[in-house]
Amino acid sequence: MRLLIVEDNVALADELTADLQRAGYAVDWLADGRDALYQGASEPYDLILLDLGLPGKSGLEILREWRATGMNRPVLILTARDHWAERIDGLKAGADDYLTKPFHPEELQLRIQALLRRAHGQVNQPQLDVAGLQLDEAHQTVIKQGEQIELTAAEFSLLRYFMLHCGKIISKSQLNDHLYDGESERDSNVIEVHVNHLRSKLGKSAIETKRGQGYRFIGIDSP
Amino acid sequence: MMRALNSIQQRLSISLIAVLILVGLVLAQMSLWLFDQGLRRYLENHLQDEAELLVAALARGANGIELNQQHVSAAYHRPFSGHYFCIDLDEQQWRSRSSWDFSLPEPAQQGLMQELVDGPQAQQLLIVRADYRRFGKNILIVVAQDYTPMLDSFRRVQWIGGGIGLGALLLLVLLQRYLVARALQPLEQVRTQIAQLQQGQRAQLDAQVPQELQPLVQQINHLLHHTEDNLTRSRNALGNLGHALKTPLAILFSLANRQELNSHQELRDNLRNQLTHMQERISRELGRARLAGEALPGAYFVCATELPDLVGTLAQIHGRNLTITWSAADNLRLPWDRQDMLELLGNLLDNACKWAQQKVALNITQDNNHFILTIDDDGPGIAPELRTQVLNRGARIDEQIQGHGLGLGIVRDIVEHCKGELGLHESPFGGLQVVIRLPAPNS
Repeated sequence: MRLLIVEDNVALADELTADLQRAGYAVDWLADGRDALYQGASEPYDLILLDLGLPGKSGLEILREWRATGMNRPVLILTARDHWAERIDGLKAGADDYLTKPFHPEELQLRIQALLRRAHGQVNQPQLDVAGLQLDEAHQTVIKQGEQIELTAAEFSLLRYFMLHCGKIISKSQLNDHLYDGESERDSNVIEVHVNHLRSKLGKSAIETKRGQGYRFIGIDSP
Repeated sequence: MMRALNSIQQRLSISLIAVLILVGLVLAQMSLWLFDQGLRRYLENHLQDEAELLVAALARGANGIELNQQHVSAAYHRPFSGHYFCIDLDEQQWRSRSSWDFSLPEPAQQGLMQELVDGPQAQQLLIVRADYRRFGKNILIVVAQDYTPMLDSFRRVQWIGGGIGLGALLLLVLLQRYLVARALQPLEQVRTQIAQLQQGQRAQLDAQVPQELQPLVQQINHLLHHTEDNLTRSRNALGNLGHALKTPLAILFSLANRQELNSHQELRDNLRNQLTHMQERISRELGRARLAGEALPGAYFVCATELPDLVGTLAQIHGRNLTITWSAADNLRLPWDRQDMLELLGNLLDNACKWAQQKVALNITQDNNHFILTIDDDGPGIAPELRTQVLNRGARIDEQIQGHGLGLGIVRDIVEHCKGELGLHESPFGGLQVVIRLPAPNS
């Protein structure tokens, strides 16, 4: 999952980036509103954390322009403006959630997880529970038939992406786009290696290879 | 309308009536007096003529000088006819038969006597003395005429004139009221507009008013604008201050979460506690400083516009299968600042949503001079013995109940600011019912 942080405070952005990277997200960071307006719409982010008071262009304007052009990626507003009037304005402008500063880092993680689940059609679930597998995002492990399986950071991110796109064919370039931030080296062989690791932990049939197309995550309870 | 104009209208009426009565009375008295004087002068001439006729009626007869009764007018023969004379000639005296037993007083000077003299049978006599010399003797003639018929008709004229004057006065006063009301129409218009301002039906006064009112209207508009500007500016400043404080706090929260502190759990807890206190304090104080209280024109809370958005926002935030309903009369406006009311209802509903199982309901009603906001949920509620504690100022239980929030604290601030009351009850849904009664500001 690749996130964009739009935040003009460098120290907070650094902290957020570090936190989110630890949680297995690929994170890009922008401080200027005009850059965010362009890049947020052109790069394939899974979720955008948007501050409201930005240099160049205000967060609300950016959000309105995005929504007006049909950009419908989840946007979580992260702001110090904690009044209901502002909260309503933010959600009316098209935000999916609204978190006020200061926030507990755990709270932010939970909101991001919930938003991602919701964006992929899994509403009202406390955790990611797909095709016989339960992903424990706090401990970065997966539970398979009651058994807890440890995952490396890369495997965890990959599995989360698969689980959110269960049953769909996912190309390698798509995985590259969503699992690495804009500055990482991309190497499709690395992905193959991680997919094989996951297969060995979850069972060979959990992830299908569609020749020339990519992968398809099936999980363990499908035929 | 009349009530509003009362003071100016009445003042104008009272002075007008006073002036009219004064001028009317003086004029009427003056003309009566002049007429009276003219009449007396005329009667004086007439009496002089009578006196001359009487002198002419004196003639030398067998027994000396005699009054020839044939030449005396018949009115002097009829008793108490109102026409009297008395002729003094040396020792001789003739009195008119009409005077009967009444004897005319003898004026000191020739000509008309200034005062009327009481005559017989309540008559008021106008008396003229004329001196002649005839037959080598001084003749003194006093002629009198009853003046009461004239006085009576004067009195009648006074009555009739008074009646007509009063009628005219009444007519004038009515006319004046009408004219004044018309002249004050623009003032009345401004008054109506101010009432509309107070009800939030307009944002400023119409600038198209007569010249005399323009400074007033401009000044009011300017003040409104200025106040609105000030509020916006101070809210912006508070927003900036909040931003400046909260972003570093967010960083500190994040720092306290660093893995390096995993081995110093106590230190981390302490840091977090202190940070949480700072956060609560800042939010609470900034929230309180933002309160505007009574709404500026144009910033009213219009239920039908605001509530759908608020409820929609809450539904989005809380997701789950929560039914949030609201009801309020059409066109109901709460006469307090829009943002304050959103803050109040937002916090209360947010709280209710956190605890509710399925249902949250908001109901806003208005009785004579109170607005009543009721929020129900079907959550676990609060035990009766804990409710007073929750409401007690300074009690921290609200914050515990709420998790980490200060919803009820801000709610209490807003309710106090509006001089309202906050009550907790058991909801018909089974959960908590929060009832807020806010007195209408202008009652």
